[in-house]
Amino acid sequence: MASHKNPQLREKLASEYVIGTLRGRARARFQALLRYDPGLRQIVAEWEARLTPLAVAAGEIAPPTRVWRAVAQRIAGGATKGLAFWRGLAVTSTAFVLILAAFIGLAPRPEPPMAMVAVMSDDKGEPALVVSWPPMKAMRDPYVRIKVVQEHPVMAPGTTWEMWMLPRGKAAPVSMGLITIDADQTMRIKPTLAERMEGAYGMAMSVEPEGGSPTGAPTGPVIFKGQCVKIL
Amino acid sequence: MTSTNNSSPDALAIRLAELLAQCALRNQRAFALLYELTSAKLFGVALRILRRRDWAEEVLQECYVSVWNHAGDYAIQKSAPLTWMTSIVRNRSLDWLRRPQQEATGEEYDIAVEAWQDDAPGPLERLAASSEAAALERCLQQLDGKQRQSIMLAFFHGLSHSEVAGHMKQPLGTVKTWVRRGLERLKGCLQPGGA
Repeated sequence: MASHKNPQLREKLASEYVIGTLRGRARARFQALLRYDPGLRQIVAEWEARLTPLAVAAGEIAPPTRVWRAVAQRIAGGATKGLAFWRGLAVTSTAFVLILAAFIGLAPRPEPPMAMVAVMSDDKGEPALVVSWPPMKAMRDPYVRIKVVQEHPVMAPGTTWEMWMLPRGKAAPVSMGLITIDADQTMRIKPTLAERMEGAYGMAMSVEPEGGSPTGAPTGPVIFKGQCVKIL
Repeated sequence: MTSTNNSSPDALAIRLAELLAQCALRNQRAFALLYELTSAKLFGVALRILRRRDWAEEVLQECYVSVWNHAGDYAIQKSAPLTWMTSIVRNRSLDWLRRPQQEATGEEYDIAVEAWQDDAPGPLERLAASSEAAALERCLQQLDGKQRQSIMLAFFHGLSHSEVAGHMKQPLGTVKTWVRRGLERLKGCLQPGGA
């Protein structure tokens, strides 16, 4: 499909797909291409964003209630599926994860998209920090991004915060490093840890003496924690 | 993070994103609310393309089941929630029309199109709800009449190239060129710094 590498043709096909004039076999073929061509999906998404205001300008017409009844009946079956994974995580923070993920996706930054995200909440379930990281494979200089989303207790003098990755299963927490300021930051991590990040189940932050935990395990109180969610 | 002068479309986008997140957690009440907030808009979109209520109802039902099933995937989409949902409805509607036995007859689209003329008050006048929409309206108005009309017939009324050509009584190749050039100009106009 060499012809689909031509930028002008890609643009033309994407725009015709979105406005709906790409029909029949051409449309089916284009849909097949979309499945494994993220760049093409991006061009399509741009056209959709351009033209959606026009689509919804069709005006609102309330559908008859039988549509909702049919939909409600069909979704009722699988309603509890997959809940176990989310148990224990405040629903508000999870909503926040998805919104944040949407924003990460939208942000025009020349950095790779984030692969996983964890919202770390305090003991009241209020989101405090958001940790996210790109796919670690093939990263020369692995890092995680830390965003402060809530005003939180100022660090007591003589203490640091230590961030811990909680691996899936019953393995012990792994230290990710120390945070010395309560502001947005990028934290470099060791390549050996980077390899394990995909299997992260949760994140925790403990208060430790200067220089970090003397034992290699959390010694002070855990002030923030949250579950990791794959977004890519 | 999106830049717009009007806060209400953004407020709706954030609300819808929250509801989609709740739907990913299998929260049926959130889903009911999502349906309440969006179903009239999306039914309008489906009806405009399909021109038959029974078809539009069936497609709408399929779309909401799909939204429920894929709400968790929304996070990785790079679209505003309403854009994402509208695209699902448009694509389903167009796929529906692709089925050979479902081709709309000329009669049906003439009736649907009659209500709207290129220069009559209509969808373009409704395009003032947000700054993005206002920009789109301004750019559409800058196109040649023929380009605008052929794009509107294709996108807004869901007509194929040959249906647009039939409706405008013009050769197929001419109509294809109007659509293509119109879309190119539209893109240029909508770019940051575009005319």
